[in-house]
Amino acid sequence: MNLSSNQNDAIAAADDLRRRTLAQLPLALERLIYLASTRDYNTGLYHHQGLAQRYSDAAACEGLANCHRESFQELLSASLEELVRQLHAYAGSIGALSSNFVTAWKALEPYRVAVPVGTDPLAAEFVFSNLKVALTIFEHRLFQPLPAPRA
Amino acid sequence: MIALLFYIGAAVCLFFLMFALARPQRAPVEGIAHQFVEARSSLQTLQQGLLPADLLNRIFDRRDLDYIDGQAAPEIRRLFLSQRKAISLMWVRRVRSEILNLMHFHRSHSRFHTSISILTEMRLALDFAGLLFVCRILETIFSLRGPYAAPRLVQSVASAASRLCAASEKSLAFLNVPGVNAFRGDSTPGNAAV
Repeated sequence: MNLSSNQNDAIAAADDLRRRTLAQLPLALERLIYLASTRDYNTGLYHHQGLAQRYSDAAACEGLANCHRESFQELLSASLEELVRQLHAYAGSIGALSSNFVTAWKALEPYRVAVPVGTDPLAAEFVFSNLKVALTIFEHRLFQPLPAPRA
Repeated sequence: MIALLFYIGAAVCLFFLMFALARPQRAPVEGIAHQFVEARSSLQTLQQGLLPADLLNRIFDRRDLDYIDGQAAPEIRRLFLSQRKAISLMWVRRVRSEILNLMHFHRSHSRFHTSISILTEMRLALDFAGLLFVCRILETIFSLRGPYAAPRLVQSVASAASRLCAASEKSLAFLNVPGVNAFRGDSTPGNAAV
């Protein structure tokens, strides 16, 4: 298979992924965690059986990696307010609107392993830092009801 | 007589000093390649990792602070400011460190590979020194007064660093092999795709 064919397959695989699987995940945070979970921590390669069958292992891997980078970029450019909203929606979507979620995320910091390979350390630290603050705000809100909206 | 001897001595010293400065320096071959790679890496880190306007706008965006102020929880504000201060310090320290790498490269090698006039070299030296100094000032301001204390200085550091990157890019331009970009992908490690 030649170079441009490989690249075209990777682009097609990424488009396919965006249209089917990622369309079900409206939040960048959800997509980041999902895409990071398709990566083998030992090899750094991404695996997706359906995509690999339709295209090839290499194209599926490249497509997943591209989408992973996109999700990270989205999260990087999200404001703190947006990040808090996403965190709240994510916890709600997995049925974890409780202090257990906050405790686990604060202790394990699962987002640290969700960063795409090759991300600049400053960008990674910035996202971690924002997530840490967002988590604190989320925790604060769990124990304090939101103020009633003004008329 | 003594004065004459003194002037002759001073002239001889000056001559040897100028001879030593003008003499072409030869760096070890293996060292040159390493320094070129380091300079290229610093340039990429600055251009792609530290200076993009989007990232800077996010890090120093006051809307985040306004949002935090709306939370009415002092401990959250403290946490936010300490986190953002750490990120700001990380940014300015890394910019300084990468600029220092570029300066070392310019000082030791670039003049032998590109035709830079003395005037341009002096201007570059002043720009490097000025930027490194301003980075130190910014670092102090971030440490003492927090990340939002000097937004204009942040912008001027970013602009000056971008200008120096553009100058360094010219010195490293001969490393750009035409056609390589067509082969360069964003592959993950071990992937078959280039």
